[in-house]
Amino acid sequence: MTAALIAILSMTVLGLPITLAVDRRARGPLLVGASFLYGSGAIFLILLALSVVKLRWTLPEVTLAALAVFCAASILARRPATGKPQPAARAHVFDVVTLFALTGYALFATLASLWEWDFWAIWGLKARVFLEAGAIDWRFLGSRWNTFAHTDYPLLVPLNFDFVALLNGSWSDRWLGLLCVAWGVGAVLIVRGLAARETSPFFASLLGLALTSRAVSTFIGLAEGALIAFGGAAVLFVRAALRDDDDDAAWRHGALMLGFAANCKNEGLALLVAVTIAVAAVSWFRGGETSRLRRLGTAAKLWPAYALAAPWLLLRFTHVLPTDIAGGSPFSRLMARLPQVHEILAFLITRLHDPWFWIVILAGILIAPAAARRPERFVFLVTVIQLLVYVVAYLATPNDLHWHVNTSWSRLTAQAALPIAFVVFLMLANSLRGGQDAPHAQARPDE
Amino acid sequence: MLRRALLLITLLALLVVCIKPRMLQIVFTDREAAAREMNGSPDRLWPLYPRFLEGVRAHTQPGDTIAIIAPGMAWDSGYSYAYYRASYFLTGREVLPLVTPENEKLPQNFRAARYLAVFEMTVRMPAEIVWQGEGGTLLRPVWGTPPPAGRPSPSGGNAIAPDPEAQR
Repeated sequence: MTAALIAILSMTVLGLPITLAVDRRARGPLLVGASFLYGSGAIFLILLALSVVKLRWTLPEVTLAALAVFCAASILARRPATGKPQPAARAHVFDVVTLFALTGYALFATLASLWEWDFWAIWGLKARVFLEAGAIDWRFLGSRWNTFAHTDYPLLVPLNFDFVALLNGSWSDRWLGLLCVAWGVGAVLIVRGLAARETSPFFASLLGLALTSRAVSTFIGLAEGALIAFGGAAVLFVRAALRDDDDDAAWRHGALMLGFAANCKNEGLALLVAVTIAVAAVSWFRGGETSRLRRLGTAAKLWPAYALAAPWLLLRFTHVLPTDIAGGSPFSRLMARLPQVHEILAFLITRLHDPWFWIVILAGILIAPAAARRPERFVFLVTVIQLLVYVVAYLATPNDLHWHVNTSWSRLTAQAALPIAFVVFLMLANSLRGGQDAPHAQARPDE
Repeated sequence: MLRRALLLITLLALLVVCIKPRMLQIVFTDREAAAREMNGSPDRLWPLYPRFLEGVRAHTQPGDTIAIIAPGMAWDSGYSYAYYRASYFLTGREVLPLVTPENEKLPQNFRAARYLAVFEMTVRMPAEIVWQGEGGTLLRPVWGTPPPAGRPSPSGGNAIAPDPEAQR
């Protein structure tokens, strides 16, 4: 357990100057949550880079590389803050209940050695193989007998497991669940910090409590938790950037988080595409004096996300790691299933995990005043595109469609839940408070 | 007024559907029983299998090729579990499957393996027993020697012929 805790603490300390370099104004829960996520992403990049330059992973080497990153980020973080000052979140009694819920999650995630099939057949397996090799084992990934381990999946999560193992001195899956807790806590802290900018401490804390269950994944040891954290944070930061007069720091946060999400799972890559399309679409239809073409260029602000996603895509391409969904002829499978699309959609609805959640989300969107709904088009669009991409993936799957849906649909919908729940909650809460848009609402008294 | 009531009801409904009582309840539940269940959940089918694989790991070296023989030898009747689980426990070695997900036999892997990890089965073929225990045997095949006459199978019908090709 000590190794996992030291790893989480080290990642948070490493991420602290990175967060401040991205946004000198970051404070409170947002600073802590973003620091852990950036630290987790930085450790992934360090291990990936060491592996690419063929340096065997050892604790001293990784520590030295992390120190170099820490120093570079600290120098960058010394730049003066730009943009409007952001208020830090004020604590509320509901935060205690959130803490209690997260404690419950931590107890669940650390009940036993990681038990999920996908952990020991995919995420944990790769981490363990790489640890023994002291680097990414391309021979293992290239072997036709190991395609079951989805060798094309990005490696942020396995390499984070490896960092814990390096600190531990050997492989142990007993306490790796703590990393899932840390990703979840990171997401909750960011959500809490962002909510505090837009509503009262009462509603911000209530939102934090409500969204705790959406920010964590019950699939312990899989990449879902990391993807929800990075992906959820990315969408919410880009939303903040679009709303808050193109806040540069929010763009940087959003793009970097999006890039790390793309390094968690292939769905993160899909999210990157969904966010780019949504940003372009929202910018296109946005009013203003600049030309539409110029506004379309707003999506270029996401370039750091593509820069972060590129190395793994390149490595995956050069090592010819196959993607199961693209195997054979996905287009012909898609065309063959297209006539049954209504049946497939009906099947997805019957298999929807947590249907009441989605019904309430839909009700919330319909009931909220149009003025509150309009600024949230970006998140609505991202969610719709994400769900569409999943449906297309099901149509093109080489696996038995029913099996594929049964084994993944609940996870996929959980990945999309955090940002949409955030905006629907805020729309409802702020409409109740009498103001559809309440930036910097912490300064206002509670009702 | 009606809209405010609807907004309030929807917000409360969102709270209700989002808050998971289980996250709070777990603090007060018997976690030892839950931990026991979780610990055993991956290996409910063959509880001894992880310990057998640990034994195989202890008696082989990194880089060794190991083929897995387990009851059923059909992908969806346990072989996928046996193969994936072995891959996790035997990292550093090359674990080879003997059947595909379509249940086609892979005789080339049988011949390519330096070791055969045989769990709850008996293999009738010339082989050196490297280690035995936890419900299984680790064999090093000796190719080019005729198979010994009818070794008894401890698990009834769970016997495999020397060359999977013969079972086609």
